[in-house]
Amino acid sequence: MSGTRASLRLSMAGLRTHKRRFAGTFFAVLLGVAFLGGTLVMGDTLRSSFDAMFGRATSGTDAVVRGDDMITTPGESFGTRRTVPTELADEIAGMPGVAAAEPRIEGPGQLLDKDGEPVGGGGPPTLAGNWIADEDLNSYQIAEGRAPERSGEAVVNRGAASDAGLGIGDTTTVRTPDPLKVTIVGISTFGGEDAMGQTSFTALTRADAEKYLTAEPGRATSIQVRAGPGQSQAELVDSLSPVLPDGIEAVTGQEVTEENQDQIAGQFLSGFTAGLLGFAGVAMLVATFSIYNTFAIVVAQRTRDNALLRALGATRRQVVGQTMAEALVVAVLASLVGLAGGVGIAAGLQALFPAVGFPFPDGDLVISGLSLVLPFATGVVVCLASALAPAVRAGRTSPLAALRETAVDDSGSSRVRAVVGGVLTAAGAAFTVYGASSGPSVMLTVAGAVVTLAAFVVLGPVASSYAVRILGAPLRRMNGRLARRNALRSPKRTAATATALMIGVAVVSLFTVFGASLKSTMDQTVSRAFAGDVAVRVPAFGPESGALSPKVAPAVAELPEVEHALGLGAGVARVEGDGRALTVTDPGRMGDVLDLGAVRGSLSDLGTDGVAVSGSEADDHGWKVGSTADFTFTDGEKQAFTVRAVYDRADLAGDYVLTREAWEPHRMQDSDSLVAVAFRDGVAEADGKAAVEGVAERYGNPEVQTRDEFAESSAAGVDMMLTLVYALLALAVLIALLGIANTLTLAVHERTRELGLLRAVGQTRSQLRAMVRWESVLVAAFGTAGGLTLGAFLGWAMTKATDSSGDGVFTVPPAQLAIVALVGVTAGALAAWRPSRRAAKLDVLGAIATE
Amino acid sequence: MTSATGTAPVVTGAAARVVDAAKVYGSGDTEVRALDGVGVAFPAGQFTAIMGPSGSGKSTLMHCAAGLDTLTAGAAFIGDTELGRLDDKRLTMLRRDRIGFVFQAFNLLPTLTVAENITLPTDLAGRRGDPAWIDSLIDVVGLRDRLHHRPAELSGGQQQRVAVARAFAGRPDVVFADEPTGNLDSRSGAEVLGLLADTVRELGRTVVMVTHDPVAAAYADEVVFLADGRLVDRMAAPTADRVLDRMQRFVGESPRTARSLDTTAERKSSS
Repeated sequence: MSGTRASLRLSMAGLRTHKRRFAGTFFAVLLGVAFLGGTLVMGDTLRSSFDAMFGRATSGTDAVVRGDDMITTPGESFGTRRTVPTELADEIAGMPGVAAAEPRIEGPGQLLDKDGEPVGGGGPPTLAGNWIADEDLNSYQIAEGRAPERSGEAVVNRGAASDAGLGIGDTTTVRTPDPLKVTIVGISTFGGEDAMGQTSFTALTRADAEKYLTAEPGRATSIQVRAGPGQSQAELVDSLSPVLPDGIEAVTGQEVTEENQDQIAGQFLSGFTAGLLGFAGVAMLVATFSIYNTFAIVVAQRTRDNALLRALGATRRQVVGQTMAEALVVAVLASLVGLAGGVGIAAGLQALFPAVGFPFPDGDLVISGLSLVLPFATGVVVCLASALAPAVRAGRTSPLAALRETAVDDSGSSRVRAVVGGVLTAAGAAFTVYGASSGPSVMLTVAGAVVTLAAFVVLGPVASSYAVRILGAPLRRMNGRLARRNALRSPKRTAATATALMIGVAVVSLFTVFGASLKSTMDQTVSRAFAGDVAVRVPAFGPESGALSPKVAPAVAELPEVEHALGLGAGVARVEGDGRALTVTDPGRMGDVLDLGAVRGSLSDLGTDGVAVSGSEADDHGWKVGSTADFTFTDGEKQAFTVRAVYDRADLAGDYVLTREAWEPHRMQDSDSLVAVAFRDGVAEADGKAAVEGVAERYGNPEVQTRDEFAESSAAGVDMMLTLVYALLALAVLIALLGIANTLTLAVHERTRELGLLRAVGQTRSQLRAMVRWESVLVAAFGTAGGLTLGAFLGWAMTKATDSSGDGVFTVPPAQLAIVALVGVTAGALAAWRPSRRAAKLDVLGAIATE
Repeated sequence: MTSATGTAPVVTGAAARVVDAAKVYGSGDTEVRALDGVGVAFPAGQFTAIMGPSGSGKSTLMHCAAGLDTLTAGAAFIGDTELGRLDDKRLTMLRRDRIGFVFQAFNLLPTLTVAENITLPTDLAGRRGDPAWIDSLIDVVGLRDRLHHRPAELSGGQQQRVAVARAFAGRPDVVFADEPTGNLDSRSGAEVLGLLADTVRELGRTVVMVTHDPVAAAYADEVVFLADGRLVDRMAAPTADRVLDRMQRFVGESPRTARSLDTTAERKSSS
């Protein structure tokens, strides 16, 4: 007991005397914990905000009557259901136990602002629907003005209205996607909020909604039902079910709320939080190296003290305990401050995300026990685990070490390490390459990536000797040469310092390469598949397009400049049991504006029972021209289609192409996603584009894009993703920087006498600063070089592993990677700022004075 | 170089000198006058030893004369350059270009080889030294076969010989040696002292050495004695016995010096 107290007293004294030494560790733990805590708090907060939002949206609804079958296509979060007849609402309203029943008609409704530009979009949905008269069934309330009564009148939610600069009495256009002129008669709120999580909602009269938002009047998206007094939701559903026609179901309001919540939580939020947690993990991993390094150096510097303690009779356990107690105190303090920082980060992100266009609803911060305990425990465990090896080493200090001069530690470049590292590298690389190229198997690739990373960490000390020599070779001046020697002094320390930065840079490079490859793939998609001159589309997040009025294509086709104008519409069906997106168009004319590659069979006579499919889908199902494919549509109709053509390139055409005639009976709302336009010979691109823009203006002003603009806007989402990733990784790089700075500070302290000697024999202050800076830059350059190599390799692997179609392009973006390299090396120079200044302020006499 | 000395008398032939030098540490009750009005010139081409008991101010005198420390009052000169008028950068460059140093211990950078340590000051200046001169120095100190070794691979005596070569490599106006044999056995010490003396006599260099060892002082051309921060005596053509005699006379002159001389004598007898 008293022994424990003694080592505790020693560690408190150690901490007090060497506060600066632990500053780096403190901040590394703090930042890691803060990021982890911030992520968890934000995840909980978002989930609760979304839950509250969906709860509010259906709070007055006791039952929903809707199509019982939902077709979901891959990559789409919300599925499509069949519509229900509106007269069913009247029938239900008359039933006993029903207080109210109203049809809900909802469809795309992009609001345009005063200048004819779309409001919002590219993220949160832009919707239009009917104004539901029953106040409980309607999740929106009139805040100003009144409900729409006559055709052409609309109520807009307050958020969208203020974004558009529109007020009561103003006239504007809603793309449904057919442009519809409306006069705003009212401003609504969503349960007191300006919007339902930044969704824009334009409410029309029921007649207008039926006319413009659905394929034919008399159909509704669903019917909202309110129970009479004393009737529970379950009882209501039970009483409704028997009277519903085939294919229509009744579910409780509660169920719908949960479905919505699960959809957001399951498909979007969990992915989002998992991503953030991944980055928090990277930050923690980087912190581990910084912490380990700090303790390793502190222990090395205290060899004499520890030896003296051992000589005076301290047990190994007491010496180990002293270091561990120091680690514990730092860990607990840093983790506590980190938790506070985490809540701050969550609050900051909550404010920041809507500002950059992420559709997150408002809500109070939700701080659960788990989001406090988990980051705190992680911080403490990571810190203690990182300090363990150095502490054990401290315990092994021989009492005789007090009598020896502290030797320069040049361990770490042993042959065993080189061999083990080499074997690991080979194994990791082989796994990764195999996983990425055969299959591809993401799991195998990730396993290979982890092994490769471990191999790099093991090889670090061996590699550092060579790398620093090579990287430092251009440094001919004395300061640079001294810096190089200093960086070579302790390969283990140099490697551990550089590894932290290496991991950060590797992840940055990985995403840079992956992002560039994605962009190239999208670019290639457009450039090889689009054979037209301009495209008319509504850009949305990613390569998908928003809805476009089906009247655009015929109107553009009439222009004298235009040779071909073909609209591509969208539909869904279950093909052989799986939900699939359909392309609805005039298949015979696709070849005029799209490059479909080799086509077997004929596209021109699909008729009402023929389908054209892509080569990859045909291969998957074993179809040839003449085979039969079973389709089930949202209205429940089943139909067998004959495969009449198989084409190679599905880039823009999609996997299934149907004629408009075949789709007509099952259609939901007429819209195109793309109008591909080819000009007549001799028409200049600018002239043709101007003419098409003239037409587009009449249809709610969708964008007219040249091939390059089309490709560029397809890839816009990638840039957004990269920006976010870079912002998150900045933290990891910051922790790595702190690590470098800390190591340097400790090294400067260690070399006090050397620095004094250098100053005495004529090294100027600026030369001394340059020397420290160059050492830092060399270490950073080593880490950056390793990170770039690892990141580029893993970026290649990730590109290949996620590219199941085999159409992906791998691109190494030299400019971006050069910037990453520059940032890494500059970071090194920045990290040296404080240590070099402290070193230069050194008192020469004090440093050279003999003990 | 034009004289920047103002009214101070120019002593021709002095490589380094101090005029009315005073150095005071602390203030009030805790005030310590390490140097109390010392004036001394170290002639060029001569080997001068500064002697005195512990606390006599000999190390302070050397540090101030060599531009490692600043005087509270008075002036220090290297040639005609007054050190007090130089900023840190010029002072550093003066040390680099015109002064050589041999310290008691820790003279060499562990990361540099012997050859690199020798040329360190000229390398810091970004100049190529005089290869023929450095070559002859290497022969004089007898380290030709150790040029590519690291300091850790050398004995203490060898390390000090490297330090001597380093001190002379840039042909400085003056070399200051601070107890250069303090950490060496007597044989290695004799080698290093012989080296310093030979370099002065055969190659015409200037050396100022601080020591408390009468045997070491005997290698010098002249010994200056310091006690209580004052110059108390000078002795030309010293021998170890004469120096020891002179030192013994400090006993009784001041209680402070007497006490420290005892410890000096003890240390001598124990080694």
